[in-house]
Amino acid sequence: MNFSQAVKNKYQLIVILILAVFCALIAYPKDLPVGTPLEKFWNQTKYKLGLDLQGGTHLIYQADTSKIDAQDRSSAVEGVRDVIERRVNAFGVSEPVVQTNMVGGEYRVIVELAGIKDVKQAIDMIGETPLLEFKEQDANYSATLTAEEQKEIDDYNKTAKEKAQDVLRQVLAAPAKFNQLATKYSEDAGSQNQGGELGWAKQGQFVKEFEEEIFNVLKSGQTSSRLVQTNYGYHIIKKIEERGEGEAREVSSAHILIKTKSAEEVIKSKDAWKNTELSGRHLSRASLQFDQQTGEPQVSLEFNEDGKKLFAEITERNVGKPVAIFLDGTPISVPTVNEPIREGKAVITGRFDIKEAKQLVENLSAGALPVPITLLSQQTVGASLGKESLQKSLWAGVIGIIAVAIFMLLFYRLPGLMAVLALVVYILLNLAIFQIFNITLSLASIAGFILSIGMAVDANVLIFERTKEEIKAGRELNNAVIEGFKRAWTSIRDSNISSLITCLILYWIGSSVVKGFALTLFIGVVTSMFSAITVTRTLMKFIMGNWLKEKTWLFGVKKIIKN
Amino acid sequence: MHLNIVKNRNKYFIFSGILILISIVSLAIWGLKPSIDFSGGALLEVEVKAEQKLAAPELSDKITNAWKDLGEVKVQPLGESSFIIRTKHLSEDEHQNLLAQVASAHGLTKAELEEKRFETIGPVIGQELKTKAIWAIVIASLAIIFYIAYSFRKISKPVASWKYGLGAVLALIHDILIVTGCFSIFGYFLGFEVDLLFISALLTILGFSVHDTIVVYDRTRENLIYNPQKTFEETVDKAINDTMRRSINTSLTVFIVLLSLFLIGGESTKNFVLALMIGVVIGTYSSIFVASTLLVVWYKLGLKIKK
Repeated sequence: MNFSQAVKNKYQLIVILILAVFCALIAYPKDLPVGTPLEKFWNQTKYKLGLDLQGGTHLIYQADTSKIDAQDRSSAVEGVRDVIERRVNAFGVSEPVVQTNMVGGEYRVIVELAGIKDVKQAIDMIGETPLLEFKEQDANYSATLTAEEQKEIDDYNKTAKEKAQDVLRQVLAAPAKFNQLATKYSEDAGSQNQGGELGWAKQGQFVKEFEEEIFNVLKSGQTSSRLVQTNYGYHIIKKIEERGEGEAREVSSAHILIKTKSAEEVIKSKDAWKNTELSGRHLSRASLQFDQQTGEPQVSLEFNEDGKKLFAEITERNVGKPVAIFLDGTPISVPTVNEPIREGKAVITGRFDIKEAKQLVENLSAGALPVPITLLSQQTVGASLGKESLQKSLWAGVIGIIAVAIFMLLFYRLPGLMAVLALVVYILLNLAIFQIFNITLSLASIAGFILSIGMAVDANVLIFERTKEEIKAGRELNNAVIEGFKRAWTSIRDSNISSLITCLILYWIGSSVVKGFALTLFIGVVTSMFSAITVTRTLMKFIMGNWLKEKTWLFGVKKIIKN
Repeated sequence: MHLNIVKNRNKYFIFSGILILISIVSLAIWGLKPSIDFSGGALLEVEVKAEQKLAAPELSDKITNAWKDLGEVKVQPLGESSFIIRTKHLSEDEHQNLLAQVASAHGLTKAELEEKRFETIGPVIGQELKTKAIWAIVIASLAIIFYIAYSFRKISKPVASWKYGLGAVLALIHDILIVTGCFSIFGYFLGFEVDLLFISALLTILGFSVHDTIVVYDRTRENLIYNPQKTFEETVDKAINDTMRRSINTSLTVFIVLLSLFLIGGESTKNFVLALMIGVVIGTYSSIFVASTLLVVWYKLGLKIKK
């Protein structure tokens, strides 16, 4: 190795080190401590656990499209998907997946709900027929409060104040029971079950009045002797403790909230819309059209005989006024009536792009021509089993890695050590890739990854065996190492290609479980070529030198047999 | 250390032959036990937090007595307090009913059970997965065969390159047959089921098997070039001995991680990992003792025909 090569190698080593640190910071599973440079960047990606590890349910529905014209089918199924997605979103599941696919001419809808507790309720909700309603403006509606409503609010708030004062008296009488009282009385759903505790917060996180109290008025451990009123209602506040200075000052506090009503809230909750008799069953068809002059997309509606009559009456009543179309209680379109429409055919124009128009058609179709769906399969894993499986897999991984490391050190000594270091880079790199590309980790995909760890050192085994052979054949140590890398390459390439082929086929044809396994194994095989060859070679070159010359035992070779 | 593998090849062929025969017989008589992935049906894993857990047959009787048209119910105890219950494909209402039955059999309410896992697969999906699995095996096998043919296109002396390919493919069939045979026997005696993951394991074994074989063939190719004066048998024998350590060591590293997964890892991947473990061992054995010695057989056959 000449001088410039040595310099080049040094740079390579630095690049690898930086890469390793970069990956480690990304791969670290928890949030990094506050104050780490670029804290947000490192913490923005998370491991995505599959349903079998975090608990959840996987549902496959068959969509029966036999009653729908062939050309409308795919749009109808997309409509079903949208409807299910909206319902599932309302269910409060994190990152629900709702997909459609086609198998042998049949449409399928796949729903994945992570961490869901009541599967039955979800299934019932998903299976409900979508409800499409046409509504007109309520003439009695006004955006201001009537005297009656105002009185109602005043009464409500008066009772709230009395209740709050009563609770405050109880708190002051027995400050130690703050947590119990909070659980009993507080109307803040978020903190009620934590004994009213809100955790650590910096300035700017709470409303002004509340913040003033905990940051400037109260001392640690002190409970406010008066009620604090905010937009939410009356608070009884306890400051637990504080830490940090200036910008970093944080306070941990607890509160009991007794809610009040405000005028805005009441106005918002009033319904501006009134039902008409017209509904989804009167709509026979919705389709996407283009204006003949402007070429702009528009949505056309066709009603059946009953619908024609009803729609005519509604449009006659509402010329110049809006008529809203609701799907499952959410407005999906609010067109204004330009003139009475008596032919049972209407066109909704507006400034929508093709995508929006298409979605509206899908939504209308979902309500007009409900596609019956039947549940074909369900796979549910309870959260406790998921957690257990995850822990077991992680342990299996850790033990497997340690065992492989010991094996490499025993058999290959110094190069073995380099291979173990390369394996560390390999693991960090893979973990970072899992986060960056948001790869779903299931039991099978973790198995794929752990398997790939065993395969990653295979390349090193091939190289080092070759190196040993070259040393035994009398080659000088440094050359033997270089030759080992060179000559083992074809075997490594060929054997990895066969694994990659099977991975691709598994991914292409497999179910989601099999796909997970194939994907992590594939990523593992590809990155292992980099770690086992490039990283190990760089490390080896770095430690090679004259000092090693006679120390062949470091390579696991007893003596040099000269030819 | 030098093993005369080529010389003793008939012993290995007999050994492999016996294993293959057992596998074929077991597959013919007992077949494989399909999981609900393929046959359709439902599987419920449930933890009963009762003072006294019923015995499995007792629970099974209680459920069938209370619910006549459920059909066949298989109850299997799991650990201290859990059951695995297998039935036909269930709708969501039937699923809830089954839970209620399990609870009432123990004098509990549904809320007092912990449902750990529930899978129900309709016959349509089962059929679909079966078709998929068959396609996967066919396509993967073809792809691997093409790949082998491609890898060995350059060596043609003294044995034609397609014969190397044939040797690798035979070794591969050998491995797959024995692993499948093992699972047929496990299925009969231990109730092991064959699911989609098992199919993935088979395909992964395809990859492994070829992997090891390629390493040995590669060395044969190299030795043919560097030591042309040696006989073909000697060359093959030397190649096997040269590469034996790395074949074993590469398989060992994989075996180590698999063993760790098997002993500690999640329950649902256990059979999958076991299939892989058997595959790795058999694959290594076949690449050392079967694949290369077959080359010598082809070679000798070729000589005889020429004479």
